[in-house]
Amino acid sequence: MAEKNAASAASTLLKHINTPAAQTWNYLHINDISLEVPTPTTKGEVLARLPRLFDAVETGIGEEAASWIVSATGDSRYVEVKAGVRREEPIVVDIDAATGDIRDTGVLVREGAEATIVVAVHGKASEAGTSASLLRIVAERDALVHLVEIVALGSGQHLEGVGIEAADNATIDVRQYALGGDKVAMGICCSLTGRSARLTQETRYLVRGSEQLDVNHLVRQRGRDTRSELVTSGILADAAKKTMRETIDLIHGAKGATGNEIETVLVTGDDIVNKTLPTILCDEDDVAGNHGASIGSISADQLGYLADRGISTKEAEALFARAIFDDAAIHAPEALSRAAALKRAEEVLGGDIALDVAEGLGLSTDIEEQA
Amino acid sequence: MSETPDKKRSEVADVDRSLYDFVMPEEGYERYADGLTPDIVRAISAKKDEPEWMLEMRLKALDAFHEMRMADNWGPDVSALDMDHISTYVSPKTKQARNWDEVPEDIKTTFERLGIPEAERESLAGVGAQYDSEIVYHNMREEVAEQGVIYSTIEDALHDPKWEPIVHQYFGTLIPMRDHKFAALHYAVWSGGSFVYVPEGVSLSYPLQSYFRLNASGAGQFEHTLIVVEPGADLHFIEGCSAPKYYEANLHAGAVELFVKDHARLRYSTIENWSKNMFNLNTKRATVGADAKMEWVSGSFGSHVSYLYPTTILAGARSRCEFTGITFAGATQDLDTGCKVVLNAPDTTASVDTKSISKDGGVNTFRSSVVVGRKADRARATVSCSSLMLDDISRSDTIPAMDVRNATASVGHEATIGRISDDTVLYLMSRGCSEAEARTMVVNGFANPVSKELPLEYAVEMNNLIKLEMEGAIG
Amino acid sequence: MPDTLLSIQGLSAGTEDKPILHNIDLAISAGETHVLMGPNGAGKSTLGHVIMGDPSYQVSSGTITFDGTDITDFAADKRSLAGIFLSYQAPVEVPGVPLYSFLRTICQMRPELKTTARKFRQRVSEICEHLEMDDSFLTRELNVGFSGGEKKKIEMLQLLLLQPKLAILDETDSGLDVDALSIVSHGIEAYRQECNGALLIITHNTRILERLDVDRTHVMVRGNLVGEGDASLIDEIDSTGFGRFEQALAEKGGVSE
Repeated sequence: MAEKNAASAASTLLKHINTPAAQTWNYLHINDISLEVPTPTTKGEVLARLPRLFDAVETGIGEEAASWIVSATGDSRYVEVKAGVRREEPIVVDIDAATGDIRDTGVLVREGAEATIVVAVHGKASEAGTSASLLRIVAERDALVHLVEIVALGSGQHLEGVGIEAADNATIDVRQYALGGDKVAMGICCSLTGRSARLTQETRYLVRGSEQLDVNHLVRQRGRDTRSELVTSGILADAAKKTMRETIDLIHGAKGATGNEIETVLVTGDDIVNKTLPTILCDEDDVAGNHGASIGSISADQLGYLADRGISTKEAEALFARAIFDDAAIHAPEALSRAAALKRAEEVLGGDIALDVAEGLGLSTDIEEQA
Repeated sequence: MSETPDKKRSEVADVDRSLYDFVMPEEGYERYADGLTPDIVRAISAKKDEPEWMLEMRLKALDAFHEMRMADNWGPDVSALDMDHISTYVSPKTKQARNWDEVPEDIKTTFERLGIPEAERESLAGVGAQYDSEIVYHNMREEVAEQGVIYSTIEDALHDPKWEPIVHQYFGTLIPMRDHKFAALHYAVWSGGSFVYVPEGVSLSYPLQSYFRLNASGAGQFEHTLIVVEPGADLHFIEGCSAPKYYEANLHAGAVELFVKDHARLRYSTIENWSKNMFNLNTKRATVGADAKMEWVSGSFGSHVSYLYPTTILAGARSRCEFTGITFAGATQDLDTGCKVVLNAPDTTASVDTKSISKDGGVNTFRSSVVVGRKADRARATVSCSSLMLDDISRSDTIPAMDVRNATASVGHEATIGRISDDTVLYLMSRGCSEAEARTMVVNGFANPVSKELPLEYAVEMNNLIKLEMEGAIG
Repeated sequence: MPDTLLSIQGLSAGTEDKPILHNIDLAISAGETHVLMGPNGAGKSTLGHVIMGDPSYQVSSGTITFDGTDITDFAADKRSLAGIFLSYQAPVEVPGVPLYSFLRTICQMRPELKTTARKFRQRVSEICEHLEMDDSFLTRELNVGFSGGEKKKIEMLQLLLLQPKLAILDETDSGLDVDALSIVSHGIEAYRQECNGALLIITHNTRILERLDVDRTHVMVRGNLVGEGDASLIDEIDSTGFGRFEQALAEKGGVSE
């Protein structure tokens, strides 16, 4: 696929990626992001495509971007986890930026099954290279899905789309780590369609240098007694740019639903741009939606506690940065994604600190061994 | 209290209107043709005998209006608004009076029923009353005038050689005519409104109040309010609006430009109770100097569709902004309200606290933006909004945007949406309250942090409104 | 006094609008165990925080000398590196930072504790075992979602890892909680055995002191140190309370609100 990304190839502008469910003033430039991507050149090829049921799964990046990914890759991959099966081996989507990988994946987790899905984005893209992943998950009733996304590019741009459909009592837990990339757009939509379906989602990021991170989080709560908990925290250093949209949509009929979103941003760079659009949409009365955000520096309480243990403000900022990579390594469910996080940590923090956590906690990074 | 529930309900379906829903005949009025043409704009300008620069501005704005488009990706639908069927200028054939006895009987009755002359006697330093397109009454207490305070119509100020340059200096500078389509419309056909000038160091101990009444059907009101509060001065300005209900769409596209200089303070209170056929597309903006403070208190109850986001630009170091607002959306209402704050200087602070209540299919959208610029070292902003859903056919959306570009700034935001908790109602009922009383109590408690900021007569009115709306809800 | 570790002389301190501590003199030698007692609101915890360098209090007069260095103007992190440790009643939650990363950072910045990740991990495991702590704690966020007892264990774990020369244990509230009490007692025991460090225990409950050899007892009333004695003073306070000291302060015309 590398030749598709050659600089000479034709390119397409995806104009409205990561559009939130409710938009606001256009002059704020917060309603979407655009990406220049290679024009698909697969005309005439017979493509493997996913079962139709995935077409109905809404993704966070929007239709325009999702259909581009589907048309830009020739090999859609379908994985099914049989009813009642607890699948031990994680389903891994391996994206190497160096070869401009673009993948379309559909996972059907049948009734009562459990699966771990990993998206690991790593490597340095060739000039202005683009990598992309579209992952759609259908979780049937009582299914349990763990999703870990580690986006840890050394350079290049990446488009990361996820859509999840959760039936009755399905439980989805998501961990997203945005650890690097010149321009990264991540959009995830989770539809809690069934009764008592629930989502816990934790997102961590470090954006530095002149990197740009654009995130769209959308939770559609349709089912009764659905629950969503979204926690996002990150660091903006140097001249980083970040846009974060978070929408909890409490839809008519979702009696007893609750949705909570919390965002904490630590700003350490003098030249940053930090945009946030935390939205709650509601047309149901028997619901509770909450949002909290705090943008700025480390709280005085935390600084006081850390100082009492010998950590200065500057060291505290370094600790918070390190913690993001450590946390990614700790929660990476297999070696490829862990290696991706640690490789990026090495570039950002230096070798000693990067590898410390794996050594101290005995985390395996041996990709061969695992394979 | 002897009515049957059914009767009561039908009454309260539009209950708060009883106070406002009376129509005065339009006979003997000067009404310009519907629609928008350069001729109409020239006619308005000629009638007002304006300086040339104002006419030029109007004609430029008219071009801008025809050229500009509404955003198609957000906001309530305004397609029902047909400018070809809105009269932009309707004027009662009367001179502006300084004494209520000189005001024509029907208009005087209108304002008496709204309680304006009474409030003037009791608690105001001055009153302006606009009826359709023109101010019909303007008066200020002697002692306030003696301090050098000016409170007049913009038209009068433009005819005064002393004040014409001041108006020229400020008018249209804070809200650009190309700000949005209806700002352009406003500048093309504006009429009426107030000019307030508070000299350096002068504090008014009583508020000034302007009341806007749109009586004509199928008409627009486009008043322009221009307030300059010089350094160290202090003013509380109150704005009230209402209209009777028609089936034909009415339009309000006013503009408010507020200049708050260093160390000055301005409190701007608004109670908007337009009828439910009104498109309220109003624009308000304040610029605030060093160590100065801008306070907004905003109650939005009426109108069919509202787009209303008072904007504060904290331009001077240590300037502050407080915004307190409540919006009540009932049947057929789609109210998109909120505020914008731009923090552009060091040590500026902004706090926004809003409440919204939705019922009977009403739609509330809280929309805000907090922008912290690069120069705003140590700026602090907090936005807090809570929304109460009184039934499951209404809607409440919260869309707050934040754009922070300074590492030393801190911005906090919290939002909650929910309904009256059953536990609370049960608790109050176990203490002997009826369910209706209990729910009313909870809603009043919810609104209280805002209503206590309102001028007294409006706070009482708001509580009554909630009570009636709630009784309607329980039936 | 060559082995004086902490020496406080004529120290007055308070918040911006309120003086709290008045003219405090206190000396603790290396390896000694001191107890600071006093009624609620006497300013005991404040003294602990002022010694640690809490920026919410300002020193208006007097000096604090530690290990031969005047640290009155030192920031808290410098005091910590010099060898002072203050345990928290309510440790602050730091979401996003795994306990492992935090412990590793605070150890690696001290030359005497610097070691490889493996050795560090061994050391942590030993202490965890001693404190009856599951070391899966290490991958959880610092102080987030832990029970009161677990938080206390994390504080003790840090105490034993850092091996400070002086540990100030603010245990004002733990008197009522049997679990917390036993965790702290365990921690103190291990700290005394392994590092022979000095201790300043702030409390108004004497149960925590039962198994401890106390060298000196200090009594604080309304921000004044009004009594000092050996371990027997603890028993006296236990039976008669602080009445005698409060009276003495009143007679002395001591500063009062």
